[in-house]
Amino acid sequence: MRHYENLVIVKPTLTAEEIQSIIAGVEEIITSNGGEIAARDAMGMRKLAYPINKNERGYFHVVYYTVAPSAISEIERRFRINEELLRFVTIKYDTNREVKAWNQQVEKANKAASTPAKEEAAPAEAAAAE
Amino acid sequence: MSEKRKYKKRYCKYCEAKVDFMDYKDVASLRFSLSERYKIMPRRLTGNCKRHQDMITTVIKRARAAALIPYTVTRKAVVTAPYENLK
Repeated sequence: MRHYENLVIVKPTLTAEEIQSIIAGVEEIITSNGGEIAARDAMGMRKLAYPINKNERGYFHVVYYTVAPSAISEIERRFRINEELLRFVTIKYDTNREVKAWNQQVEKANKAASTPAKEEAAPAEAAAAE
Repeated sequence: MSEKRKYKKRYCKYCEAKVDFMDYKDVASLRFSLSERYKIMPRRLTGNCKRHQDMITTVIKRARAAALIPYTVTRKAVVTAPYENLK
């Protein structure tokens, strides 16, 4: 098993639910090939640095996972078939140093996923106190 | 003025900060090694060591592929607000 990270950019023209279903499909591709998802980081809708297929914006989503190296070609082949994905970037974390960085990023992503709820709750309390 | 100072001192900024790994999604940290036209700055101007220059090169190329930073900035394809995505 090796550590990987995948960034996918989804078309901006879809509705929020469609984007979520496509991301679920992306994760399903990874898990069905024997991958274990460690963390996910939704970067959200962003402006692209340059237009891709005449799209100026895109929905960014990052998935951290471990999978056998032989499964990557199949995962990438399935990504290429999906027409709703504008772009995907697969990063391999190979050396000890990189794996350490991978663990840190997973930790950070998991933390970020759990904190927003608290942040939303805190201002509400502050508003109530006022 | 700040630009001038950047080229005068010759030490590796990344060695000083003890950077072991760079993340291509963190565009703000790549700014130091990019020119105004988003070219990779040469080592003779930034003072980076060979090891960190190699790291930053791969990281910048990954960020370009992920459409986080542009490949080129020309008069036709101007990036109006290149860092508006940054928080």
